[in-house]
Amino acid sequence: MTALLRRYKSIVPYLLLTPGLIWLAIFYVYPSVQMFISSFWSGSLEGGFTFSLSNIHNYTDGLSRYQDQIIRSVFFAAAATVATFLISFPLAYTIAFRAGHYKNLLLFLVIAPFFTSFLLRVISWRTILGDDGLLLGPLKSAGLVGDDFRILATPVAVISGIAYNFLPFMTLPIYVSLEKIDKRLLEAGQDLYASPWGAFRKITFPLALPGIFAGTLLTFIPAMGDYVNAELLGQTPATKMIGNVVQSRFLVNNDYPTAAALSFILMAGILVAVAVYARLLGTEELMSSAG
Amino acid sequence: MSEQHPSLFSRTLTRRRLLRGTALTGVAAFLAACGTAAQSVVQSAAPSVAPSEAGSAGPPSAAASPSAAASPTPVPSPAAELNFANWPLYIDQDTSNPPKSPTLDGFTKKFGTKVNYRESINANEDFFGTIRPALQAGQDTGWDLVVLTDWMAAKVIGLGWAETIDTANTPQFVANEADNLRNQSWDPDNNKRAPWQSGMTGLGFDAKVVGEQTSLAALWQADPRWKGKVWLLNEMRDTIGLTLLKLGKDPAAATNADCDAAIAEIKKAVDGGVVRSFLGNDYKEGLIKGDLVLGTAWSGDVIQAQLEKASLKFNIPSEGGMIWTDNMLIPKGAAHKYTAELMIDYVYDPVIAAQIAAYVQYVSPVKGSKEAIAKNADPAVAALAKNALMFPDAATLGRTHIFKALSADEDKYFNDQFSTLQGN
Repeated sequence: MTALLRRYKSIVPYLLLTPGLIWLAIFYVYPSVQMFISSFWSGSLEGGFTFSLSNIHNYTDGLSRYQDQIIRSVFFAAAATVATFLISFPLAYTIAFRAGHYKNLLLFLVIAPFFTSFLLRVISWRTILGDDGLLLGPLKSAGLVGDDFRILATPVAVISGIAYNFLPFMTLPIYVSLEKIDKRLLEAGQDLYASPWGAFRKITFPLALPGIFAGTLLTFIPAMGDYVNAELLGQTPATKMIGNVVQSRFLVNNDYPTAAALSFILMAGILVAVAVYARLLGTEELMSSAG
Repeated sequence: MSEQHPSLFSRTLTRRRLLRGTALTGVAAFLAACGTAAQSVVQSAAPSVAPSEAGSAGPPSAAASPSAAASPTPVPSPAAELNFANWPLYIDQDTSNPPKSPTLDGFTKKFGTKVNYRESINANEDFFGTIRPALQAGQDTGWDLVVLTDWMAAKVIGLGWAETIDTANTPQFVANEADNLRNQSWDPDNNKRAPWQSGMTGLGFDAKVVGEQTSLAALWQADPRWKGKVWLLNEMRDTIGLTLLKLGKDPAAATNADCDAAIAEIKKAVDGGVVRSFLGNDYKEGLIKGDLVLGTAWSGDVIQAQLEKASLKFNIPSEGGMIWTDNMLIPKGAAHKYTAELMIDYVYDPVIAAQIAAYVQYVSPVKGSKEAIAKNADPAVAALAKNALMFPDAATLGRTHIFKALSADEDKYFNDQFSTLQGN
């Protein structure tokens, strides 16, 4: 076996890649092609669908009909990403530099909620944020907020839900990049009379950028397509995201062409946004040098 | 026939009690719905997946077959098995052994047929998506009996995809079907479907918070007691139907223009901040927690929720309520048509119908089921015979309306408008 492998050394990398490639082909490439084809369909479930390139209007129609939901998705995802970053960075910083013996415990706590089902966690937020729930109940009886004040069924609920659910995806990459920082760089900076803030700004933060970049992508991209938070915490027409539209077009209205076209619009939009973001932040070199 | 129901009603588990104990069922159902739905989209060409889910659904028949083998009754040749698809929690269950159903076990005992009963239907459209390719190709769907709401049943019958029931094999169905359900426009000969259960859609509310409500107009009023705490059902026919009744129009004759009028009317309540959400089954949760206090609801649901919150009430609105029926159909090309007919006949035995109704607490379509329930030894079960939501009298039924059987184009139009209203 070893001899055989040595003789065909050059094919080993391909063999190692094969399971992944097969996976990708079956679960990504094939469905994507299928979806792309169905985005050029017209017709109905009962009468059957027909393919025609002239159905490219599925894209323009979808875009104009659902622009509100698309813009809302970008806004919700961006707001949630910023919120996640604002919570994650101090958290990751503390764990990386100040946690001492508790480092592993704290890291465990960051991912501990993942041992519970995603849906159950979102549904428990519905109880916590309820109109007379754990959070608002006491505030209302203390008279701090009005009786008709609510969080559920508002954009705040959806954005908070997304931010909560993606917290580990932001925290862990930032933690990894902070953890890798050579402490001697900070000592050297301070030896050269850099203030703690100056050292943070010039050394720590730039070196954490690859983690921030990765964390942002891991949060923003899935958040754009998320529909569970809008479905369970939003539950109102004014908080529907593009994911909800795709879901309902597919499953309620059996409007496969529009649903497929919207999926591709979403995919293309995200690709463009990520490309621009990578350009602006210019972290590609950083990523490769740090990695 | 009588030897089949010795232990009738000895099990005290009702659908309500089961639901009360399993608050997480909803989550499971949601997940299941997602799973089924995804399946129907990605792999709609494989209806045969349903029977292969057998293991997880917990077949009642596996445990029941030994007794069947012991005493097979000689009848005209019922098949060895029957594949029956129904909605979740829609048949009686045995307390000590939940997936087992006295009704299904009784059938197995009587005919020696193993019933592969699956709770595979979570939404009409989704389930239809799984059987459509086979029906279109003229093949067996894998199911012998399926339960669809009347509008979907009408669609399937209209497409010619339902077998004609040989009524010679179903004398009890012929004799005992409720008169008001006979001879629908979409089944004039009364032999393409047999009603399974009916239910009503009307006003559900927390009487302690909003007082007694009898008019649909309340759903449009920005009353501080319920503003922002009102929900509407996300079932198009229920919500548009009730709105049409509010507007003084007949849901059974709805046109596209009526649909537009109803949508514009609902939009007022949404834009005015009165209506908070469009919801399916999960309105029950909000109603119990207090996030929701008034909305459009299904009768059986509210009866169940009363156990957790006694102040909840259901009223048929003064403008009228909606009534719907879920129907058993034999899909075209079903392998065990005769056995499916035997099952239809069997559940139209008033005693069996009472056994099912006592558990699911919807409206039984079987004449005599009320009397059968009233005779039950358990006073709690016997009292159900007086429940107006389970056994509505003629006056109550007179206040309920059915929704028009929409053409494919109308259906698309109504659903599209209703989706847009909900923000998707």
